[in-house]
Amino acid sequence: MGLVMAAISVSHLSKNYQTFQKDPGLVGSIKSLFSRKYETVKAVSDISFKINEGELVGFIGPNGAGKTTTLKCLSGLLYPTKGELSVLGFSPFKREKEFLKQISLVMGQKNQLWWDLPAVDTFLLNKEIYEVSDSDYKVTIDELSKLLDISEFIKIPVRKLSLGQRMKVELIAALIHRPKVLFLDEPTIGLDVVMQKNLREFIKEYNSRYKATIILTSHYMGDVEALCKRIIIIDHGKILFDGLLSDLVKKHAPYKLIKIIFKDFPNPQKLEGLGTVKHFEYPNLTLSVSAEKSNDSASFLLKNFSIEDIVIEDPQVEDVIRDVFTK
Amino acid sequence: MTSQQAFLSRSGALIFIIGKILRFTFFFLFLILLGSRTKVIVGYSLWQMIFFYVTFNVVDTSAQFFLREVYRFRSYIVSGTFDYTLSKPFSPLFRSLFGGSDLTDLLIFVVSILFVFIASKNLPHVNFFGVVEYIFLLLNAFVIALAFHITTLSLGVLTTEVDNTIMVYRDVTQMGRVPVDVYQNPLRSLITFAVPVGIMMTFPAKAFMGLLSPWFVILSLCLGGAFLYFSLRFWQFSLLRYSSASS
Amino acid sequence: MKKYYQIMKNTWDEMVTYRLNFSMWRFRNVLQLLTMYFLWYSVIPSNKSIFGYSHSLILTYILGTSILSSVVLSSRSYDIGDVINKGELSNFLLKPINFFYYLFAKDIGDKAMNIVFSFGELFLLFILLRPPFLIQTNPFYLVAFLIAICIAVILFFFFNLLLGFIGFWSPETWAPRFIFTILISFFAGGLFPLDILPAPIFALFKVIPLTYLLYFPLKIYLGQVQFVEIITGLIISTLWIFGMYKIIEAVWLKGLKVYTAQGM
Repeated sequence: MGLVMAAISVSHLSKNYQTFQKDPGLVGSIKSLFSRKYETVKAVSDISFKINEGELVGFIGPNGAGKTTTLKCLSGLLYPTKGELSVLGFSPFKREKEFLKQISLVMGQKNQLWWDLPAVDTFLLNKEIYEVSDSDYKVTIDELSKLLDISEFIKIPVRKLSLGQRMKVELIAALIHRPKVLFLDEPTIGLDVVMQKNLREFIKEYNSRYKATIILTSHYMGDVEALCKRIIIIDHGKILFDGLLSDLVKKHAPYKLIKIIFKDFPNPQKLEGLGTVKHFEYPNLTLSVSAEKSNDSASFLLKNFSIEDIVIEDPQVEDVIRDVFTK
Repeated sequence: MTSQQAFLSRSGALIFIIGKILRFTFFFLFLILLGSRTKVIVGYSLWQMIFFYVTFNVVDTSAQFFLREVYRFRSYIVSGTFDYTLSKPFSPLFRSLFGGSDLTDLLIFVVSILFVFIASKNLPHVNFFGVVEYIFLLLNAFVIALAFHITTLSLGVLTTEVDNTIMVYRDVTQMGRVPVDVYQNPLRSLITFAVPVGIMMTFPAKAFMGLLSPWFVILSLCLGGAFLYFSLRFWQFSLLRYSSASS
Repeated sequence: MKKYYQIMKNTWDEMVTYRLNFSMWRFRNVLQLLTMYFLWYSVIPSNKSIFGYSHSLILTYILGTSILSSVVLSSRSYDIGDVINKGELSNFLLKPINFFYYLFAKDIGDKAMNIVFSFGELFLLFILLRPPFLIQTNPFYLVAFLIAICIAVILFFFFNLLLGFIGFWSPETWAPRFIFTILISFFAGGLFPLDILPAPIFALFKVIPLTYLLYFPLKIYLGQVQFVEIITGLIISTLWIFGMYKIIEAVWLKGLKVYTAQGM
């Protein structure tokens, strides 16, 4: 009986930051040399989860929730205040060479490409740093270039590329060594709709093709909906939900939205009791009804009202998550 | 590659001032060190050498104080702010040259004038004409510095390359820390008239000491005027090129 | 090893991209050299000997420090402070590469390019100026000279690291570097041979590391130091290397703590 070890295992992780308040200016700096008021910020408090190889998990939470801190602990940038971490069997903070060769962390604005040189020069450098063989390198570059459609501009100096092109080559630079575990911190931030879509497709493809374990943090519901079956919601350093997105919706938002366009003005008394009115501006009405009753409610409406069009929708993930946070 | 970066805070500014003071003091001490063993360097006494140096300093710091804005020019060109300046009724040349003045530069400029006074007290046989010629030639030196900076701006408009040109200016004028007599021909003629560091730095000091024939004074003033004239023509040429390129 | 070679290659490519900047930099070096060369040429004319230096000795010294500075004082590590401030340091911490070896490899690349050009420039100047240049032939002096150069290169690298580490605590990284550049220009020995300073001051200089960047190696080349002094000098400068290394280790660890605490 073989126990499958989780690719990522987090057990009671806590991370505190020590910050101190400094008065501005030169006087403040000198004062701070002598006495400092330390404050402990609990970025992450006692979180635990396991992620298996090949999973694509979304980390969601507002700013300061602890998402980036968790990713940094998992990649070895930060050492945990308490708790145990294991990524691919390694202890991240030890930053062993074999560990680093199998992971990658991609953070928004932190460029790693040599600015004045073509991207391919940085690719070659990473190839040597990660000790990728010539043949593997060629295969990886070919595949990734095709996926992201960048073959034309890897020979152009990076500073001459557009933001979207730069994002793509940065991503490839982070994947030269085909990491088994990939951490993506807000990857689609600042990109336009087309680029976001491209990137999401790429991440999905990468996950399925290379069976890489991917943790992705994001603000954008589009990312979450498109990519993540499983999500972990984190706020104020604590996990609020860890499970399938569909379960989240079922558990916290067991309702559906019925959107109606009326032909004739409806009798408000007849509408009463059907559900909660979310929005009403004749001829449009949005009604929130419990999920089980949604079909019956829809047929009832069709029978008793003069309706131009009717649609049943799932609740917005955003709204669901917002509800989770406010609870 | 980064050019001269501005300081971010008051403490940074303070450190920069200290740095400039140190730079001046060290070279000054170096001259004194040389003077302690040699009576004469290319025929000049220690105090004369010092006077050459403080004269250089006045010209250098005056250009830095008044023309500080030129150091920002590259960012204006690259960001498009220059186009905005062109559209205003105010002279774009004036706007690109002046207005960036710094209190610290003013301080240093004033102090360098002070040093000239102090050094001049130690020079023998100074007469009224010498002083008058000195002042005129100093103004002339500033005019030449101005011409340099205008040329720099024109090159900037044409090529967006500003920082390197300024650095070349600074490095070449650095050679004027000592009287140009030190250098051998043909280098000496080159930097006296062609470049013309000699006219900017060495000639005023020489005039002060009564060592410059009046013909050279007149020649210097004429060359200074000529430089300014040609630099202004170059500026107009560059503007013409620029506006025809963008339309 | 291949990665360090790739770093050097990338560095050369970068320098070629900025060839205008680089040419200007070389041009400035030549101007600086000419200024000092002619100044000293006039201060110590061919029939005189001042401060213990003859005409040919002083000119050899000045030309020598010019070549030497392209080896010792050229560096790419001036932007460490920015790398820290912009958070790009994280990129290095995430990779299986030693940040210091990476920086040193960049420096070596830079030095290699600079040496080539420096030799080229001096070759031209030699033809034009025909200076009285002394060639050292004593193998003992030459070996000691090379060792002193290696020590100087490491010392300067360490200085750059420490200056860069200021970035952990302050965004003001350029101002201290400015001061450091000024100190180097006067007290590493590029402007004048340090032993022309009054004896008590020079005694002080013998114990500070700046002296060993340019002055000390060149003095060995000129063959003007006794065996004992050479050994003493090498020991002092090596002690400085160890001392600075320890300081760098401590500052780096402390700096990383601050860096990670600030959520970079």
